[in-house]
Amino acid sequence: MSQGAQHGVELQTVEAGVWREACAEALDSGARFACAYAGAAPGGREGLAWSAVFVRGPGVRVIRTDVETSVDSIVDLAPGADWDEREAHDGYGLDFDGHEPMRPLLVHDDDLETWTVPVTGEGVHQVAVGPIHAGVIESGHFRFHVVGERILALDPRLFYKHRGLERAAEGALVADGLAYALRACGACAVTNSVAYAQASEMAQGLVATRPMRRARTVLLELERLYNHLHDIAAICAGVGFAAGNMAFAALKERALRLNAQIGGHRFLFGTVSVGLNEFELGGVELQRARGVLRELRADTATAWRELEFAASFQARLDGVGELTIADARRLGSVGPAARASGMRIDTRTESPDLWYGSTFKAVALADPTGDVAARLQIRAAELEQSFEMLDDLLAEPVEGSPSEPTRAGAAPIGVARVESPRGETVCVCEADLGRVKRLHLRTGSYANWAGLANACAGELLPDFPLINKSFELCYACVDR
Amino acid sequence: MFVLLRQLHRVRRQAGLPRRSDVRSLALRHVDAGSCNACEHELTAASAPAYDLQRFGLDIVASPRHADALLVTGAVTTRMSVALSRAYEAMPEPRLVVALGDCAIGCGVLADADELAAPLDELLPVDIRVPGCPPTPDAIAAAILARL
Repeated sequence: MSQGAQHGVELQTVEAGVWREACAEALDSGARFACAYAGAAPGGREGLAWSAVFVRGPGVRVIRTDVETSVDSIVDLAPGADWDEREAHDGYGLDFDGHEPMRPLLVHDDDLETWTVPVTGEGVHQVAVGPIHAGVIESGHFRFHVVGERILALDPRLFYKHRGLERAAEGALVADGLAYALRACGACAVTNSVAYAQASEMAQGLVATRPMRRARTVLLELERLYNHLHDIAAICAGVGFAAGNMAFAALKERALRLNAQIGGHRFLFGTVSVGLNEFELGGVELQRARGVLRELRADTATAWRELEFAASFQARLDGVGELTIADARRLGSVGPAARASGMRIDTRTESPDLWYGSTFKAVALADPTGDVAARLQIRAAELEQSFEMLDDLLAEPVEGSPSEPTRAGAAPIGVARVESPRGETVCVCEADLGRVKRLHLRTGSYANWAGLANACAGELLPDFPLINKSFELCYACVDR
Repeated sequence: MFVLLRQLHRVRRQAGLPRRSDVRSLALRHVDAGSCNACEHELTAASAPAYDLQRFGLDIVASPRHADALLVTGAVTTRMSVALSRAYEAMPEPRLVVALGDCAIGCGVLADADELAAPLDELLPVDIRVPGCPPTPDAIAAAILARL
């Protein structure tokens, strides 16, 4: 057993025989499962390296083992590892002892029995939806097991949009690898870019300077702003409340126009770089941006108040799609969805390489009911928090800056965690001689699909669009 | 509710959108063949108050059977190619195919070649190309209207 500590990441390499034990030990010590991924074995050896990332506070621990063809499953210890193991099985041919049945995830088998959970009984039938949907929505397939209109279980099948971005990034120059992380998802482009930039900087022995941290925090909050506005609009659309949908779509449009004005792109593509910050904002432009945000904040507050008093709208949200705190914790939910169920979890409280500071507190609801109403409430509260934070951040100019070398120097592995509008996104970057050896991106959406499927059980089929939109998970982020 | 409608009215007034000058129309169906979701955001925005595609007679419809034009976003993945061709086959003729965004056009696509079926214009006859990453709602509207 060898251990090597570097700033924030502890890499622990263990024998395959004690791998499960090491993971159990990490979980017992209070750490949370963050992601697991397969890659080529180090040093050009035969076989694969299988790594699991655990987090506790700002600390990150990577437990790794060399494997030939199979390894013990940890899905019973950390149910959140279900998709990670299935992805490694399909993508790398790795078998997991104890993970039975091993249902395909990346591989799209036509045989229903291989990938759906068997649901039987009197009057049980299936409803298939997708991959193409009725609206302008990303591609994915949902298989509902229903009795009448009641959903008994949901098997989501994603990865229709799997573009192999992680494999495509292998061999690219470390600075160029950012483009692959960015293109994983348009709506989380900043989060994915910052996560990749931080992970690859760590791998190269660099650390962000104070101006870089501030600039990245501004960009992350601008991204959260338009996403939360979009999500509130989507929830209104989910119950056919057109006035709310259109009002919040119009507010989101203003946020996107501000992005274009100050960042040069409506979705802030290309505003984050590896090893430096080039996003600058000062003078008249800064004042104008701050003014636009203040107006947007006031109009958002007015529109939100109207939603709160639209009784016919509110009545459709209470008690729908409940995710209990126990289930959220067990399934590894993150982000607004987890917070709406009462979990105190927000990676912004544990992000020393960003500008949130020690005073940042995750939004908590007085009554975290875990239903659609709670997921709507939490977004409104977080919007207000983001507006407040941006107003503070933009009190001073945002400046360009290169990163600094760390004392520890280059590291074999860089891990970064960033809170996206949908929850914690984890990015792993392993680099060798200035090139990407392995890039792994596990986004907040990836972590939350299991919670979404759980919240649908027992609900009415026609309520699915509403429940789905209250989570508003990206498919592109998951499929990569 | 009235406050929301008043806000929307203000948005419409500020956008100053011209009224449609003729009576033509085109029904659009969208298929995401492997995009990053940015094109979807912009296509949704195109139907929202600041752009309002409907005023030109452009409507996004739920089924390819009701559609005149197929808007395809993203580089076509192996897993989406069957669904894409089925959607195209379900459309009545004459039909248009619109490649929406740089990926669908085949520009600067980032992906593992093994995961992509083929460039869109090898799979379907592309009539309209809308460049951009993603194309803005204005660009989407302009490109389609030019062929209306």
